[in-house]
Amino acid sequence: MVKYPLILTALCIPFAGNAEEALIEGNVQSKCIINTDINGVYGNPAPDKLSTKSVDGGVEPTIRFDVAIANYYMARVITPSSFSTSPSLTDVVNWTGTTTVGEVSDAGMSAYDAAKVTYDTTSEFDLTIAGSTWFKVDSVATYGFGRAFPGGTYRAVVQAECIAQ
Amino acid sequence: MIKVFFIAALFLAGKVSAHEMTPTYPPLVPSYVDGLVSAKMTMFNARQDVEYFEVGVFDAEWKPVPFAASAKIMRVPHGSTKTFEVFVRDEDKNRATFICSLSKLRTDNSARAIVSSKICSRTEAATP
Repeated sequence: MVKYPLILTALCIPFAGNAEEALIEGNVQSKCIINTDINGVYGNPAPDKLSTKSVDGGVEPTIRFDVAIANYYMARVITPSSFSTSPSLTDVVNWTGTTTVGEVSDAGMSAYDAAKVTYDTTSEFDLTIAGSTWFKVDSVATYGFGRAFPGGTYRAVVQAECIAQ
Repeated sequence: MIKVFFIAALFLAGKVSAHEMTPTYPPLVPSYVDGLVSAKMTMFNARQDVEYFEVGVFDAEWKPVPFAASAKIMRVPHGSTKTFEVFVRDEDKNRATFICSLSKLRTDNSARAIVSSKICSRTEAATP
């Protein structure tokens, strides 16, 4: 009866003496990653209107911000206020744009929308929770007073910024 | 199951188009050139639609601060990492607050990029 524990102990001792340790180290540092998940497309629901809204036949640009640690970064999204590419335009273009929180990796991030700061064409969000947040951007451009946009390619740039706090 | 899908989506989406720059709070340390301090930054580009990034240094009011780097507009090919040094005059050490990298979009229509990404690190001295 006493033999078995003795044999087991004897078996274990040599292995314990020869054990090798493989050390794995990791380091989590604060960082922000900006991902452009979806590049937007302007729809042309009316002759004088270009819009990224899905109801207008457009595609909303979707930008994802990943932060590794909470409270280190602020997300800033600036909607377009001019075209980067367009045919020659002789009348004024009126711009509106909004940035809203879409998908979130943590339920608490849905409060970002209520806490956002908006001025001019800029929306600022404090990234107070670690994880990923998807922001959807609406951009609408109307031309003159009911004038039709000239035919051609139109492009505008959304600027997504991640600023260390 | 949802978590697995979410994590997979994160990795897949990250592969498509991501831009990152570290460290978040770089220290400005004395450089090998007299009268200059420098910060070492690392940028990673996973954006397929962007190849060039502009580096900038700004004060707390977002006014540009004079700086030197190997290139102000640098090429970081898709999927690669670039480490670069930013040099600031000693006298601007306390003024330099943000070191930023901004993706540059092509004016031709070759890449359908309409999102410009900008990441700004805050110098350690300016950290609240």
